[in-house]
Amino acid sequence: MRREPAGDVGRRTILKIPMTEMMTILKTWNFLSENQLQTVNFRQRKESLVQDLVLLCEENRASLNDAALLDIIYTQFHRHQKVWDVFQMSKGPGEDIDLFDMEQFKSSFKKILKRALKNVTVSFRDAEENAVWIRIAWGTQYRKPNQYKPAYVVYYSQTPYAFTSSSQLKSNLPLLGQALTIASKHHQIVKMDLRSRYLDSLKAIVFKQYNQTFETHNSTTPLQERSLGLDINMDSRIIHENKTEKERVQRVTQEIFGDYPQPRLEFAQYKLETKFKSDLNGGILTEREEPLRCLVKFSSPHLLEALKSLAPAGIADAPLSPLLTCIPNKGMNYFKIRDK
Amino acid sequence: MELPNTLSQDGESRGGVLAHLERLETQVSRSRKKLEEPQSAQAVESALGTRIHELRRLRDKLRAEVKHQARVKASTTNVEPDQTLEITEQEILKRKRENVKAILQAYRFTGISGKLTSRGVCVCISTAFEGNLLDSYFVDLVMQKPLQIHHHSIPVFIPLEEISAKYLQTNIQHFLFTLCEYLNAYSGRKYQADRLQSDFAAFLARPLQRNSLCNLLSFTYKAEPEGQSFPFCARLLYKDLTTTLPTDVTVTYQGTDALSTTREEQRAAHENLLFTKPLHQVFTSFARKGDKLDMSLVS
Repeated sequence: MRREPAGDVGRRTILKIPMTEMMTILKTWNFLSENQLQTVNFRQRKESLVQDLVLLCEENRASLNDAALLDIIYTQFHRHQKVWDVFQMSKGPGEDIDLFDMEQFKSSFKKILKRALKNVTVSFRDAEENAVWIRIAWGTQYRKPNQYKPAYVVYYSQTPYAFTSSSQLKSNLPLLGQALTIASKHHQIVKMDLRSRYLDSLKAIVFKQYNQTFETHNSTTPLQERSLGLDINMDSRIIHENKTEKERVQRVTQEIFGDYPQPRLEFAQYKLETKFKSDLNGGILTEREEPLRCLVKFSSPHLLEALKSLAPAGIADAPLSPLLTCIPNKGMNYFKIRDK
Repeated sequence: MELPNTLSQDGESRGGVLAHLERLETQVSRSRKKLEEPQSAQAVESALGTRIHELRRLRDKLRAEVKHQARVKASTTNVEPDQTLEITEQEILKRKRENVKAILQAYRFTGISGKLTSRGVCVCISTAFEGNLLDSYFVDLVMQKPLQIHHHSIPVFIPLEEISAKYLQTNIQHFLFTLCEYLNAYSGRKYQADRLQSDFAAFLARPLQRNSLCNLLSFTYKAEPEGQSFPFCARLLYKDLTTTLPTDVTVTYQGTDALSTTREEQRAAHENLLFTKPLHQVFTSFARKGDKLDMSLVS
């Protein structure tokens, strides 16, 4: 097998694709024709299948860009495998109407990166109606781009937000930020304290798309009458002594978290730098001048749903601390808490 | 669109009013699929007006019938006449309530409607273009000083913060009308772009290039459905976000052969057309006229 970047990247990417998704991804890639795909036996062992596919790619003279495109498609299908950061851009006041031209954006973005760093591979793939996925393989002044640790950026036109897969190469972040800002005609870029594997949840949080239930006259179930999920009257032999308290907790939880599915986050992290506070007068720690530093991290397969279920399950008091409930509203899951 | 503003005193046939309103709704969604030249807003309005008159006439007729029936029934049954009267009153109230509910639901067709909520009001902006009902957007307002938006479904690229900063606290009407303008224009531009992409893909060399606001459209196209090459490249800019027609149109000739006078005439005519007619209508005319451009369309 030739150790050419295009062939190698292509081969490694195809190897990563699970057999169940192989046909779908290849069809989405649209680089191998229907006829070519029909000549391949998809029931054989993966290694041999990959060899056949790589041969076909070589027949079609797959370029590095074609291989990069396949890599983007794979990442789009497996976006949860990456951890995504969110950047927020801002314009100056009184800017003209944004006439965003995707082709101009792409060429400007690429030009800025190439001007600063000769050894860089930039590939684009349009997604949905108004988004673009960018794959960047970073090199250095003297080394060719590393095709096996690329960074990905997802940008929705005419919005201030960009999503980037956390890159190993943190030194390239300022350059990436600059390219994004200038190409999208913004002035500043700032990294938000928001991070998750679930790109779609991050999108829902910053675009404020997570609470989409609205009261209209056309809705059939009045919101107030909907069951609160607590079947209190299941068995008449069971008497709930704290029924009013349970109903209060349900009501408060519903007010704070709403009826909609929560966006998915895996953790919330709080860095505390506060002085010790105690009701008791005296004691060693109360006299301590320096603040105490500690890190509190909440982890969960679905953090916000877990928080929502805390009070109804009786594990926490309702209402929960606003530090926990403000997460989607503020678009943060990293907090630094200091004394005022 | 006129809506009946008098509530009936007596009972009426429940099937009549709601069924007619439902039919109105399906008619509206059906007319969305038509590719014909649009009726003017007034034509639609007058059609709806006659409809309402028809409905009122039917309602009055049914009302009279019901009254007559009730009288006949009351005179024949002498067992507990008071109870019969009570039931009829209950039914009357029930139907009155349903009628009001139906009217409130129909307000959606006016473009701006709302529903009171426990904390304020939820405003619904229903967008439309050329008589086609398009997406609805919501703004949930909290009645506080200062007025606040609790949550909304306005797309992030619509300048909601700007509009709120200018009008939300001082002139709520202006706030809603401005938002309505932006959303209707966006919906209209999006509709044109979607139509071009889905219905006239054969006329385009590549997928249409667009952005979130649909205020910059770029495409390479041909005007003859049978033609082999795509000689023209068009670039439409919509600098005014409250309009559905472009502010800047540039059509360039891409052909390899020299630019003949006919081609130049075509190019200029296309430019003019794209300025004055909605995008999908321009392509509808291309599809219909073949390679003979109807100069009468150029108004």
